[in-house]
Amino acid sequence: MIWGAWLCLASPLAAALLITLGGNALSRRGAGYLATFATFVAFIGAAISFFSLLSHDAGDRSHLSTGWTWIAGGSYHSGFSVLVDPLSTMMMLIVSGVGGLIIGYSIGYMDGDPEERRYFAYMALFVFSMLLLVQGGNLILLLAGWGMVGLSSYLLIGFWQERHSAIAAAKKAFVMNAVGDATMALAFFILIQKTGSLDFGDVFARQGFLGGWAINLIALGLLGGAVAKSAQLPLHTWLPDAMEGPTPVSALIHAATMVTAGVYLIVRTHPIFEQAPKIEDLAAGLGAATLVMAGLIALVQTDIKRVIAYSTMSQIGYMFLGAGLGAYANGMFHLMTHAFFKALLFMAAGIVIHALAGEQDMRNMGGLRELMPFTRWCFLIGSLALVGIFPFAGFFSKDSILAAAMDRGWYGYLLWVAGLAGTFLTGLYTFRMYFVVFGGQRSAFVREHFHHEGHGEGPFSMTSTVATLAGLAAIGGWIQWSPFWHPVTSWLEPVARPLVEPANWMEWTSSGTALALGLGGIWVAWLLYGARRPRPVPRVAPVESALVHKLYFDEAYDLAFYRPAMRLSLLLGRFFERPLIAGTGRELAEGSVDVGRGFSRLQTGLVRTYVLAIASSLAVIAVVFVAVR
Amino acid sequence: MTIAMLGPEVSWYLAVSAFLFATGAFGVLVRRSPLIVLLSLEIMLNAGNLALIAFSRHHGRGDGQIFAISVMAIAASEVVVGLGLIVAMSRKRVALDVDKLNFLRG
Amino acid sequence: MLTTVLIFMPVAVALIVWLLPLSRLAAGGVALLASLAEVGLWIEALVRFDFDSSGLQFHQRQSWFSDLNVSYHVGLFPFSLWLVGLTAVVMAAAVAYAVWVGRERPRAYFGLMLFLTGAIAGVFTAQDLLLFYAFFEAMLIPLYVLVGVWGGAGRLGATVKFVIYTMAGSLLMLAAIIVYGLQQGTFDLLEIGPSSSDWVFLGFVVAFAIKAPLFPFHGWLPDAYRESSPEVSAVLSGVVSKAAAYGFIRIAIAKFPGPTSDLRGAILALAAIGLVYGSLLAFRAPDVRGVVAYSSLAQMGLITLGVFAVNDLGLDGAVLQMVNHGLISAALFLLAGMVERRTSTGEFALLGGMARGRPALATVLMTTGIIALAVPLSSAFAGEFLILAGVFQQGWGWAVVGAVAIVLAAMYILRMISGILHQDVGPAVPEAALDLRPGELAIVVPLVGVLLALSAWPAAISQRSFPNDQPQQAVRSQFRAVSYVVRETQVTLNVSRGTP
Repeated sequence: MIWGAWLCLASPLAAALLITLGGNALSRRGAGYLATFATFVAFIGAAISFFSLLSHDAGDRSHLSTGWTWIAGGSYHSGFSVLVDPLSTMMMLIVSGVGGLIIGYSIGYMDGDPEERRYFAYMALFVFSMLLLVQGGNLILLLAGWGMVGLSSYLLIGFWQERHSAIAAAKKAFVMNAVGDATMALAFFILIQKTGSLDFGDVFARQGFLGGWAINLIALGLLGGAVAKSAQLPLHTWLPDAMEGPTPVSALIHAATMVTAGVYLIVRTHPIFEQAPKIEDLAAGLGAATLVMAGLIALVQTDIKRVIAYSTMSQIGYMFLGAGLGAYANGMFHLMTHAFFKALLFMAAGIVIHALAGEQDMRNMGGLRELMPFTRWCFLIGSLALVGIFPFAGFFSKDSILAAAMDRGWYGYLLWVAGLAGTFLTGLYTFRMYFVVFGGQRSAFVREHFHHEGHGEGPFSMTSTVATLAGLAAIGGWIQWSPFWHPVTSWLEPVARPLVEPANWMEWTSSGTALALGLGGIWVAWLLYGARRPRPVPRVAPVESALVHKLYFDEAYDLAFYRPAMRLSLLLGRFFERPLIAGTGRELAEGSVDVGRGFSRLQTGLVRTYVLAIASSLAVIAVVFVAVR
Repeated sequence: MTIAMLGPEVSWYLAVSAFLFATGAFGVLVRRSPLIVLLSLEIMLNAGNLALIAFSRHHGRGDGQIFAISVMAIAASEVVVGLGLIVAMSRKRVALDVDKLNFLRG
Repeated sequence: MLTTVLIFMPVAVALIVWLLPLSRLAAGGVALLASLAEVGLWIEALVRFDFDSSGLQFHQRQSWFSDLNVSYHVGLFPFSLWLVGLTAVVMAAAVAYAVWVGRERPRAYFGLMLFLTGAIAGVFTAQDLLLFYAFFEAMLIPLYVLVGVWGGAGRLGATVKFVIYTMAGSLLMLAAIIVYGLQQGTFDLLEIGPSSSDWVFLGFVVAFAIKAPLFPFHGWLPDAYRESSPEVSAVLSGVVSKAAAYGFIRIAIAKFPGPTSDLRGAILALAAIGLVYGSLLAFRAPDVRGVVAYSSLAQMGLITLGVFAVNDLGLDGAVLQMVNHGLISAALFLLAGMVERRTSTGEFALLGGMARGRPALATVLMTTGIIALAVPLSSAFAGEFLILAGVFQQGWGWAVVGAVAIVLAAMYILRMISGILHQDVGPAVPEAALDLRPGELAIVVPLVGVLLALSAWPAAISQRSFPNDQPQQAVRSQFRAVSYVVRETQVTLNVSRGTP
């Protein structure tokens, strides 16, 4: 039933092309319906693939279908092929399912924007790219999808093209992702040189022959791509800025799907990472560092979408932690639940922003509790799932990652502590956001700007999506409860056998501690922001300032890369290109004119001079000729 | 072979030819009237012709004579052009003095 | 015979356009028809081309002057086929643009354009060194006139520079050809044997390096690309520069395996410097054409990297990238021309915000731009990937430089796109400036369409750019030289590294 996978891939692309080529022939709303429909068709294709895999034995769940030879040079060639295996079907279901919900939501959210068609074409293009990324049957197609999601992310972040900040953010996202693409490409060059192929099968079969440095470099290059795409340290600075895009974009691309691609990459290429344990540890360490750092920065953000963005970085940190430790299924499981509850948070925040005429600053919000009860409850479910409170989704997935950390020696315990610290921070910043937005008194801004569109808290397309996601965030985690049942792990087992198998006591310890710390975070948040008479927030000025400046990463990169490059370019232009290269022509011309002027003196115009010159030269030549003979 | 034996040695002819050539060259160099310069040129050409024919006879082959004939043809056409120019100059009342014709000074 | 028709059909039509007293409309129409017919002829050649054969195809040979073994000898190798196709397509777009714009003195103009088409086709198909030289020069003459007569305000300076640079290059090449041909006793590219003379090799390389241009021989480039009319810039950077890369492949490395191996490091270094240097300057360029011009310098550096990787990956990638870059830069120059026609400037300071209300312009420019910055899945990505994978095998440093340059490319192309399309509406952008008209779309969309098709299937070119090198055919294979070089240089390399 491989055609299901091709259908899944082709349908969003067809929608994107149709909307682009259709132009005004297609109504704005029609474009939205077309994109949503195509994405749900993709979901059906993914479901077909899923069920056809289910009907196979566990050992026979990897099907590769090659359409044509896509790229070839010398003896190297890679086909345009789709791979259907447990890992890719899982991602296909998440991407097309969540994607369909979010694009449906956009019909309501983007209603009235003059360029809706372009928006939906980009969204459909994104879904195609993301599906290409997860379905690509070899590394080069994975990279192709990788680049294409970066492109669609660029297009969507910069969707409101008149905004300077949006365009700048879009460019930044693209360039940082291009850095990741470049390191991945370098890793592929090594692979081509050493194995002559980029097919998963060939590469994984032959990588045992690779030398130590080569495999480490390859893993490092792949990690570079993963880190850039998933906004982990040190290539994370683009994600908060990416919130300039429309909110559904943030939900789909910068929370649910694209930014988690790094985790997918690590899981997909785990045989390589397993040969390079140092790089694997580095991945886990980067994840841990990011999750703590992002949690800290989220504490001081005032833009509601940026808080959620930092929270995303932090949660992806958990996934990296899991994938780096070899707990692949746990990482993927968290990826799935995260897609549910983070999309939910963004969508609910989107309803709030919509109702407040585009305002995103939390300081202007407050007291929305009674005004938007539905949104409030959904947001609360999302927040609880994010913090990992039983029985919501995050509890099951996040805690199993922490448990996995305990099974990895002292380094694992170090990561475990970082993860627990992150749990506390998550509780704190999430509920700070919740209390500030929904609790307290209605602010002046809310009283002035709040408005309902039609009946209810938003159009049906928006509320239905939020309700669906709230349902998924509430119960989606029950699919797997590690101590008792683990279908996700066994589903993924043929693709990625986990390296760690935490004992049940580890699971219980982690769950208990994490739950307690999460609740502790919520409690502190309540004391500071939620209580009727909130305590003053303890502030340490230098720390706060550093956090507000996002630990000065932007400034450092500006100083270390952007400015030197600009400077070099300026200097080259001023002191090399203009005088030396562009100037050579002029100097040559002037030189020849001077020389010519000198020679022109010989031109007396007197015929007899010339004759004399000829005769005397002739005489000299004759003499020389005779003498030499 | 036999023909080459008759008459004086080739070096005599060459000596005459060299003398004629030097005379012509001297004339070109020192005279200022274009008419005389043209005449001197003719002498130089004929010196060349003499040498060509002498060698032709010396080697017993006709090549030199063919050359000489072409030189004569060229000389004739050259005289036509040259004399034409001189006539034109005198009609335009340009001084018949080669030293005054220095429009090509660089 | 088909090859000869490909070369001389446009030339014949050029004579007709020059001689007959055609009206403006008729001259343009005839020229457009002829250039479309050229595309049709090429498609005919493509359909009939046998990619499994290892030899020269559609070849024709007439002795020209037999004393020196010079002959009129033309034919197609697979990579020449692609380049001729590129020529036909880009020239058709350029002629169409000129018709659309309505150039002054149409008969002279279109005649020159057609003559140029034939000459470039000749360059890519000539199999005799002197014939190659003749076509190479025949290609330059119309360009001098096209730049010098129909260019912008600074066209004379640009032309003088262009003439001086290319003349110097051509003379070096002529000297090299004469020495080489006399040494070998023939000028026929299929018969002439390999040479080991560094000086002759350098003569060719410098000539091609000026034409490409490669750093630091690019002094003529900024002026010529800025001052020409857009379609001439498109031809210059899209097609004419490829003649140089073609020369590298067909003559420099195929006939000079020894010198290639000796001097490759230096050439790779120049190419890599040019790549980064062009990217950096493109990043600073104040106007659209400046960006495209310097990116062209960078791209030629990249292509040269691929060629002088001298392995299958690099060469296949280089041929693919030649086609890609030809189409991309032609499309970008034409688009720049269309923008300039609306705003009468190309300066970013005066442009911006053109996307709003002009969806066709925005879509086409954006699509071309993102292909130009080699976003993965585009054919430009495929080309660059193959080139860098190839040159990686000659040393990882080259590939790292290439990867850095690709990031820079992302930066300057995005800057250009945003500078035209996004943010505030520029002071030079009139409110009434139209979206792309159907006629303009008909000119650029085919170029972009070909690029998109190639993105879906880049292997169409990269897999079919060189004759198969099967052992039993190798004896007959007229193109054994490249595979010979590849093998030789690999051996030398391995020996120098101490691996068997």
